[in-house]
Amino acid sequence: MLVTNIEILPDKRIVEHLGLVQGSSVRAKHVGRDIMAGLKNIFGGELKGYTELLQESRAEAMERMIEQAEAVGANAVLNVRFSTSSVAAGAAELFAYGTAVVLE
Amino acid sequence: MIDLIILLMLLAIGYGFGSYAESRHYKSIITRENDLRHIPAITSRFPPQNNSSDATLVSGSVVISVDYFKRFIATLRNLVGGRVTAYESLLDRARREAILRMKNEAAQLNSDIIFNVKLETSSIHKGKGNRIGSVEVIAYGTALKTSK
Amino acid sequence: MKYSNPLIPEGINTSKQHPLKEFFILTAGVLGLIVTAVLLLGFFADKLAHHIPFEVEQKIASEALLQTSNPSPMQNYLESLTRQIAAVQQLPDKMPITVHYIDSETINAFATLGGHVYMFRGLLEKLPNENALTMVLAHEIAHIKHRHPIRSLGRGIVIGLALSMVSGSIGDMMSNQIISNTETITSLSYSREQERVSDKTALDTLMALYGNVLGAEQLFKVLQESEGTMELPEFLSTHPLSDQRINAIHKFARESFSTDAEQQAKPLPSDFSTWLRITE
Repeated sequence: MLVTNIEILPDKRIVEHLGLVQGSSVRAKHVGRDIMAGLKNIFGGELKGYTELLQESRAEAMERMIEQAEAVGANAVLNVRFSTSSVAAGAAELFAYGTAVVLE
Repeated sequence: MIDLIILLMLLAIGYGFGSYAESRHYKSIITRENDLRHIPAITSRFPPQNNSSDATLVSGSVVISVDYFKRFIATLRNLVGGRVTAYESLLDRARREAILRMKNEAAQLNSDIIFNVKLETSSIHKGKGNRIGSVEVIAYGTALKTSK
Repeated sequence: MKYSNPLIPEGINTSKQHPLKEFFILTAGVLGLIVTAVLLLGFFADKLAHHIPFEVEQKIASEALLQTSNPSPMQNYLESLTRQIAAVQQLPDKMPITVHYIDSETINAFATLGGHVYMFRGLLEKLPNENALTMVLAHEIAHIKHRHPIRSLGRGIVIGLALSMVSGSIGDMMSNQIISNTETITSLSYSREQERVSDKTALDTLMALYGNVLGAEQLFKVLQESEGTMELPEFLSTHPLSDQRINAIHKFARESFSTDAEQQAKPLPSDFSTWLRITE
């Protein structure tokens, strides 16, 4: 499954557009990460715990988007966009969406 | 003892009304998606040059509130981490509703397709920091008529 | 170029787990975590606080002393009883007991840091004989002997710190409430255990001084009367139920006595009732 955020692929032809596919995942941090973040607030530095959390979240969102694309019979997702927002205390929603297409 | 009882009552009300509203909403979403299936929405930016006309910006937005039960689960999840499944369904509903409202607007203009669809999510809260009250989703794109 | 809009199946962006099931698993998990954390922290704080020297305790206490009492016949009487009890319980020399008599209608007596014991008129005027008075005094002195005040303080500080770290990161009023309630209920079991241990030491003291434990049961009957009918369930209370304590006394009496010989309680001094009210 080809996933890309460009729109016109130089060497392939789009046969059919299959509409919007989306994948999202909402994850919460736990107190362990939070306490480390609190300490880092004093010492500074990268919040590795949070970075990992959001990376896992993004990977899961992409997976779900690809699952939707496969379900409608596409073999590529073009023009992918990401969006992050906080929707609950301490939880962030990672959202990926794009156009499912059949390439030749 | 009293606060425990009040808490349980609020949770029961939140769960009862929340899940009823959710299942009703999902039924409505699935019906309307089938009705509007003739209007695809895609994120590509370049429509076919020669046979499309009447480009109009269309948008749809919705604000859905969080019930007590979902908020309680999110608070517990904050302690142990992991996926907040209660919020997943909430956001799924909100997004699909926003897209449907956008397609509705396009349908009223007799358009056939919507290009360059973008989605934005944000949370609306009372401002005390951690208390998220509701979730807003906007979907917008350009509606076009294609001549067959 | 063909544009179509096929049906996307449900359930990809949502989870199939029933929300109620998730709710119960989460609640059980979180409560279990809190209870385990409190028990572990309490256990270690308890062991460490035991090693704080008594002199440190005295210093802390002297800075936060309640009203000191003036010399009076009641004060002297209580002090002489205290000396007898301290001798029987074999308190170390470095652990002096300072007893204070407070002329107030509060029905209470307590022991606090630094070896200070406070007795209130409200309780003393209800006691039927000297054995009961000795039971109260011996119970409080037993708390000091086992270093309960400093251990409770240490536990409270450690658990309070840990939970405030957790609550601070959450910041939601309701979950803070849940966490502190769970913590309180778990800590109360420690407190009840301390009361039982002090009861036992006090009973031993009564046996050594008087050869019987008559006063003890009468004391608890007096306390039961003043409690009235609204008694908290045991798991919400800092003390074991009065019935339980009376049963413990009966058990102790059965094990200590082989004969049913007539037992007598030592009466209070004849001027006791006049000593109750301190006139300036």
